[in-house]
Amino acid sequence: MNRRHGTVVLLLAAMLPLLWTLSVAVADETLARREQQAIRAAVERVAPSVVRIETVGGLEVANQVLFGTGPTTGLVLSSDGYIISSAFNFAARPTSVLVGLPDGSRVPARIVATDFNRMLTLLKIEIDQPLVVPEAVPTDEMRVGQWAIAVGRTFDGGQPNLSVGVLSAKQRIWGKAVQTDAKVSPANYGGPLIDIRGQVLGLLVPLSPSASEAVAGVEWYDSGIGFAIPLADVMKILPRLEKGQNLVRGLLGINLKPGNQFADPPVVAIARAGSPAYRAGILPGDRIVSVDGHAIGRMTDLLSELKRRYAGDQIELAVRRGEEQHAFTVELVAKLKVYEHPFLGVLPLRDASDEPGTVVRFVYPESPAAKAGIEPGDRLLALNGEAAADRDGLQRRIDALDVGQRVLLDLSHDGQPRQVSIVLGSLPLDVPAELPPARTKVAEPSEARPRVGTFALQIPEFENKCRVYVPESFRRSQPRGLLLWLCASADVKDQKTIERWQPWSDGLIVATLYSANAGRWLRTEAAFVEKVADAIQVDYAIDPTRVVIGGRGAGGEMAYAVAFANRQRYRGVAVNTAPLRVPAPQNEPPYRLAFYLATATKVPLVGQIEVTIRQLRSMKFPLTLRRMGEKARAMNDNERAELVRWIDTLDRI
Amino acid sequence: MTGPAPRSTAVRRVVAAGLLLAAGLVVCSASSAAESSAEVIARTQPKLVKIYGAGGFRRLEAYQSGMLISPEGHVLTVWSYVLDTDRITVTLDDGRRFRAELLGADPQLEVAVLKIDAEDLACFDLSEAVEAPPATPVLAFSNLFGIASGAEPVSALHGYVSVKTRLAARRGAFETPYRGEVYVVDAMTNNPGAAGGALTDDKGRLVGMLGKELRNSLNNTWLNYAVPISKMESVVEEIRSGQFVSRPQRAEGPKPDNALDLATLGLRLVPDVLPRTPPFVDVVRQGSPAQRAGLRVDDLVLFVGERLVQSCRDLVAELALVPRDQGVKLTVMRGERLVEIRLSTDAGGSDQ
Repeated sequence: MNRRHGTVVLLLAAMLPLLWTLSVAVADETLARREQQAIRAAVERVAPSVVRIETVGGLEVANQVLFGTGPTTGLVLSSDGYIISSAFNFAARPTSVLVGLPDGSRVPARIVATDFNRMLTLLKIEIDQPLVVPEAVPTDEMRVGQWAIAVGRTFDGGQPNLSVGVLSAKQRIWGKAVQTDAKVSPANYGGPLIDIRGQVLGLLVPLSPSASEAVAGVEWYDSGIGFAIPLADVMKILPRLEKGQNLVRGLLGINLKPGNQFADPPVVAIARAGSPAYRAGILPGDRIVSVDGHAIGRMTDLLSELKRRYAGDQIELAVRRGEEQHAFTVELVAKLKVYEHPFLGVLPLRDASDEPGTVVRFVYPESPAAKAGIEPGDRLLALNGEAAADRDGLQRRIDALDVGQRVLLDLSHDGQPRQVSIVLGSLPLDVPAELPPARTKVAEPSEARPRVGTFALQIPEFENKCRVYVPESFRRSQPRGLLLWLCASADVKDQKTIERWQPWSDGLIVATLYSANAGRWLRTEAAFVEKVADAIQVDYAIDPTRVVIGGRGAGGEMAYAVAFANRQRYRGVAVNTAPLRVPAPQNEPPYRLAFYLATATKVPLVGQIEVTIRQLRSMKFPLTLRRMGEKARAMNDNERAELVRWIDTLDRI
Repeated sequence: MTGPAPRSTAVRRVVAAGLLLAAGLVVCSASSAAESSAEVIARTQPKLVKIYGAGGFRRLEAYQSGMLISPEGHVLTVWSYVLDTDRITVTLDDGRRFRAELLGADPQLEVAVLKIDAEDLACFDLSEAVEAPPATPVLAFSNLFGIASGAEPVSALHGYVSVKTRLAARRGAFETPYRGEVYVVDAMTNNPGAAGGALTDDKGRLVGMLGKELRNSLNNTWLNYAVPISKMESVVEEIRSGQFVSRPQRAEGPKPDNALDLATLGLRLVPDVLPRTPPFVDVVRQGSPAQRAGLRVDDLVLFVGERLVQSCRDLVAELALVPRDQGVKLTVMRGERLVEIRLSTDAGGSDQ
């Protein structure tokens, strides 16, 4: 081909897109008009079912979200006056609710019931004329990418307000919601998300994958991430809500073996005593393979199946136990019995050993173990006939049981096998005045070791200061406990802080961490605390059963928050005169968490500290209390020594 | 390859013809209704300007947007503190910078007109502005967040008209002196620096001017809106022709000297202890207008006239706007029913 032809061909090729653009543009034009007409028609079709809701009285702030008094939206569910809306709209607990009908008239409404799982509230109005009920899009006909129009009725003039987008995803928030990029906000919470025909995809609500309060998810308003509860799911629960029944999430009562929840299969670690799972006969080690016939491959599959169910729902559960498959019918419950870790009454010896079993270091006086005649030096071998290879194995086994349960313990006493029957007790709250050594063997002095003594630890990208004390005797073959002490001051002006711990801390590595601002810790500094813990755990051998975080005042308040956020890491929280300012999580078998609370008795915060004590005790966390006189002060040597002993007992069984 | 390859004359002719044809197509499409969004945006952006003035401290941006409304350099924008300076700079789409003169402003409508010394500018014609019903696809043009500078064109956003509504028919909902209709849109159009930008339909026809950032105090969300051009057309014309006379600030409805209050009506509410104490009637004085009209203890007052009152405080504030001799309609909740009650302070005019 010569150059001329080539050029002409190229030129034509270059013009083709232009011509194409033109024809597409013409098509686009009619398309745009048709779209606009279709959107308007869709909104007009649903509009008779979209009502305006106004409230009178109520709170100004709930869960730190400032509430407006503005009108919100609701959707008609039945011609005789049932109206569903987002629970967000009633989080401020109004005195009266008024429903504004599309014809402009207003009628008083009654709050019938609330669904605390999907965050919906059902209202009822008394009317003479039947209301218009919208049509629902069947869940299996929804397609990601289809038109989705969010409709509210909150602006003055009473006209519906709309925002246009697509369906972004299905099966969101544990299968409870569909997602859209149409703008979803208080301007349309409680209103419908509709398709291009004006049929209802779902009810717009604020939702959050992690939190469950009525206001959770509001921070995502107008972000392009909006959620709607499929109307078909709403209709399913309507009969229950109509009866005035509040609905809550249903619980099965199992803890899964730790692992990657997006990759690993769900294997039962613990079926909580008295729970639906326990009564059905589900056992530790069972691998859950299906729920209501839906195959379960990963932990998240199971969570999606469970988290969207209600208390009172029955599920068909299939598990694989060894080679066999077992099926169970289980009814989910609203609440599980508060869990309390049971206690045998011993401290284990920490010598490394090739022999199986756990050697007793110390027997708590009056404990179940003491009553059964167990003595220091005994080797605990098996629980209820099943061998427990080491301390961790024995602890896991016991965590799956309940206080008050009778167990058979196999042990060897002076080389002689023995079997004792023990009723499990509660964890001790008092700290023994004296403890025998945790090790009988001394490490080889020649063993190589990382840096010991007192030194500064700097974490890149944080200005916070940190000092670490590692005892001279530290060897990698002998893991230590770790105490992270949070100081609410920006400067290491008090060099003595860390030295105060040294005389007591031969079994412990201590780190003092300083806030970036004097007098307060910010939530964002939790990352600093975690990095210090990471750095020490990488360089030194740390016993995971004795990792404790603590502090005085603001440092103590921060300690609670950090420990709750990383329950895998922390086994103890030790505070001096600090109340709880964050919600405490439920006590759960896999996460042992103990509290040591030293407090002055005449301080401004005493009321809040007393509330903290009552709350933690009611949640069955073991809480050791040390009253230290009237005035707030630093802990003295005796108190520090006791705290260090308390940490030394955290590997108790 | 170094330098352009030599070409024959014939080829050059073909190229020239092709380019002409292509150019013709573009011109055609620009004048026809079948323009692509890219073309509409490219054609509209030069009608927008970037305005720089006072501010730049305490998180107050020193910039906003504006639109050209005459070929000789009249610029329509929002009246704001940015214009409260002797040095207002306007930067055109092509990067040219001008000192601008403030011809006039209407603080009620929050409208200002600037003039720069230029000619033959691309511009909007206010008389050709269109209405945009809900669901109209719209484009918003503005220099939001001051992203564009120099010869960079302003940013274009795409969305739909959400609703046409009145701002602040309910007192205190929006902190703005503007009390009229607005287009609410479902795109995040009203950000810092966007005020004074243009809202057009998908053909580039002017619909409204983007307003200042506005928080909806009724539900604590930000509002994305534009003021219809039809609302400001006459004021702009008056400013341009030098006939504009600044009107005195219209207060929020005239407050009567002799207004209604609870004591005059003869009722007392429950103690106002919460930020939003619901206005329940606690005491109705014997022989008072309230008693004669049939108001009862434990009635919950919901409306004064047509206005919803959500707290004791709201009720007192609403009554203060009603002249004493006028009488007032209250709607109360009594048990599960709404009851309308007409109150008159005229002693002779008791209910039959």
